[in-house]
Amino acid sequence: MSVIAPNFKLSEFIKSILDVGFWTLLIFVLIGLPLVFIVLFVIEMPVINGEILTPFLALTWLADPSRILPIVKAFMTTDLFRIAAFPGFGFAALIAASTIFVERKMMAKLQLRVGPFYCGKLEGILQLMGDGLKLISKEIIIPAKADKPIFWAAPVLFVGTAAAFVALIPVAPGWVVADVDVGLLAVFAVIGFFPIITILSAWAANSKFPFIGGIRALFQMVSFEIPLILSFLGVVIVTGTLNLSEIAASQSSFPWIVFFPIGAIIFFITMLAELERIPFDLPEAESEIVAGWLTELSGMLYGLVQFGTYLKLYAFAGLFVVIFLGGWNGPMIVPPFPAEIITEGIQMGPVTAQFPGLPVFTQEMLNGTIWFVIKTVGVIFFIILPRGVFPRIRVDMLLDLGWTKLIGLAFVNIFIALGLLYAGILGPGGLF
Amino acid sequence: MADAAFLALSVITIGSAIAALEMRSLIYGSIALMGSLGGIAGFFLLLDSPFVAMFQLAVYVGSIAVLILFTVMLVKRELIFKKVEDKRRKFVGIALMLIMMVSLGAVILDSGIRQITTDEPAVDFREIGEDFLTYYWPALILMGLILSGAVTGALVLARRVDEENGKHIN
Repeated sequence: MSVIAPNFKLSEFIKSILDVGFWTLLIFVLIGLPLVFIVLFVIEMPVINGEILTPFLALTWLADPSRILPIVKAFMTTDLFRIAAFPGFGFAALIAASTIFVERKMMAKLQLRVGPFYCGKLEGILQLMGDGLKLISKEIIIPAKADKPIFWAAPVLFVGTAAAFVALIPVAPGWVVADVDVGLLAVFAVIGFFPIITILSAWAANSKFPFIGGIRALFQMVSFEIPLILSFLGVVIVTGTLNLSEIAASQSSFPWIVFFPIGAIIFFITMLAELERIPFDLPEAESEIVAGWLTELSGMLYGLVQFGTYLKLYAFAGLFVVIFLGGWNGPMIVPPFPAEIITEGIQMGPVTAQFPGLPVFTQEMLNGTIWFVIKTVGVIFFIILPRGVFPRIRVDMLLDLGWTKLIGLAFVNIFIALGLLYAGILGPGGLF
Repeated sequence: MADAAFLALSVITIGSAIAALEMRSLIYGSIALMGSLGGIAGFFLLLDSPFVAMFQLAVYVGSIAVLILFTVMLVKRELIFKKVEDKRRKFVGIALMLIMMVSLGAVILDSGIRQITTDEPAVDFREIGEDFLTYYWPALILMGLILSGAVTGALVLARRVDEENGKHIN
């Protein structure tokens, strides 16, 4: 009979536990506590219940749990929270990660396959985590004659640029990382960085397949940027603003897709091309050039590029929602927060629990976020769908589509906008 | 605070401009050029004109730099460049640059730039559009005509008709 640990001794086991406890305590006292106090003293603390939050008060939530909510709420107003968690990186990363899994499973169902099945008990739900662990633990192999600095920097820059794009998307009223006046131009400027990073990464790999893929990616992205910009000019003409929050707020009665269906279609097609999705996935055409510009990337470098691609997908879907589908606007479906919990607290038998600081989120913010997520998920579904249905198109067809048909249609869209404006239907004095 | 940002931007812009000129690798040179152009976009942001800054990023970094990269990658540089190292030329060039900079700086400092109040709010881009459509309309129409002429010419030049026995293919 085999034993898991043949040399097991209870006394040594207890000793090892005590050792770990001792060293943890020592390290916490010597390094952790001074660090906590330095951080708490250096960072400017918010005012809660009329008094400035000192480190001592901040640590009192250990004894008084009712202080947690005000502290959390004060943290949520900081820029750090916006950038790292809610409308920014964390939220987008969550949607991006779920998109990867849903895409694989949905493709499988469309093509009558099973898809991820074994990892995790329920329909392969842990597959993504397994893939991530695999990518992290894999060795990163750099080609011998590659240009190392650029090769290392390109995936990181790719994710960084995608995160900058995400930062411009407003999720709910007032909930946006960077609320810039020239939001759409900022989007234009940020998208312009993707082809540079792609071609640099492709060149740095010093290999045939990545280079061909990189050049394809370059001309595809650069030539489809022009119809992309032209397609939302109609909305800009009618609303008279470039700020994405104002554009979203202007659609409280109807989304702009009602008046600009042509613009929305152009935007959607150019979005597919910018994202290198099928039927425009020439830069990554796996049957011709292995994996295109991603061929030489391995391990977490590949993982970073994939992650950046899906962040970009979320950002484009969010942009479509904000410009054409009404952003966060929608009927109020979130019930108002019960007022008696705020005033009286929750009664549990003889005990009454007071929760100062409720409600954490306002009703508008929750409702806006729910509508935004529903619409964005819908758009992502339609971005994924062609992958299971269409074949890849030829290079010359792609360029012909971009340079002649889409740009021409975009001008038709702009003239529709001008017509609506001068006829007095939209704009000052009109419906809106 | 603006001073620290100004200094950092100056260092980035001038440093990468020098690097763009001096680097032996053309790819790194064009990356440095991108840094220089991006630094100029930062200056526009400091000068409260985000509109121009975004166009600087989109057009110069996003398109012109890509064009340069593309050209550099597709040609073999041994075929077009021959390295000529000449110390005297270099120093004459630096001296010329200094003379240019000093005289330009004198002209600019003399032009009343010191009397500008600096706490004005940022110029709204709608005002730029209004100015274009009212006072500067001839210039706008001229620019529009030139640009559309250039685009039409480019389309005509790039057009390729595939014909086989008098029949269109594709």
